[in-house]
Amino acid sequence: MRAHILTGLGAAIAVAGCIPVQIQAPDEPIEINLNVNIRQEVIVRLERDAEELLENNEGLFGPGGR
Amino acid sequence: MKRNIAIASALAALAAAIAFSMPAAAQDAALNQARSQGLIGEQADGYLGFVPGASINADLRGRVEQNNIQRRALYTRRAAERGVSVNEMAAAVACQVFERPQIAVGERYRNEGGQWRQRTASAPVEVPSFCG
Repeated sequence: MRAHILTGLGAAIAVAGCIPVQIQAPDEPIEINLNVNIRQEVIVRLERDAEELLENNEGLFGPGGR
Repeated sequence: MKRNIAIASALAALAAAIAFSMPAAAQDAALNQARSQGLIGEQADGYLGFVPGASINADLRGRVEQNNIQRRALYTRRAAERGVSVNEMAAAVACQVFERPQIAVGERYRNEGGQWRQRTASAPVEVPSFCG
């Protein structure tokens, strides 16, 4: 009985192995997240600096819109 | 001779007046137009990017690249002063850009995951997770 189950299982695996697997390409290109090394506590510490850079270089960052 | 000197000094004064009246980096009308047309947008990495499928002419490409070079110079200098990586300084600025937001309604932006989104009046800008 046990042998039958195992044989059946083996057959199932063998059959499954032969079924071509269709892999659908995603619509959007796969993006690698480059921000893995960003430390959140560093970002928080840099808040004032970031604000200052934005305010002193308005031409580089566009008019924005609130 | 005297007249030439007078003209030269007048020109020098005019040049100085123009130089002092201009902000450090004047608004680039071509870049701002491209933003509102959805050709380019702010990215979560702190730089400008090209929206996929947009037709970008050589002039615009050059302006974006120059803008990014200037940003990188700013980030690099401040990062060195603070003992952080350039990417972290850039990300901190991106957080400000996304939180304020420095992205107008209708403009496109690239979120942390790399997907391009359009800011709408109803939906808030997707602020990167590292902003805290």
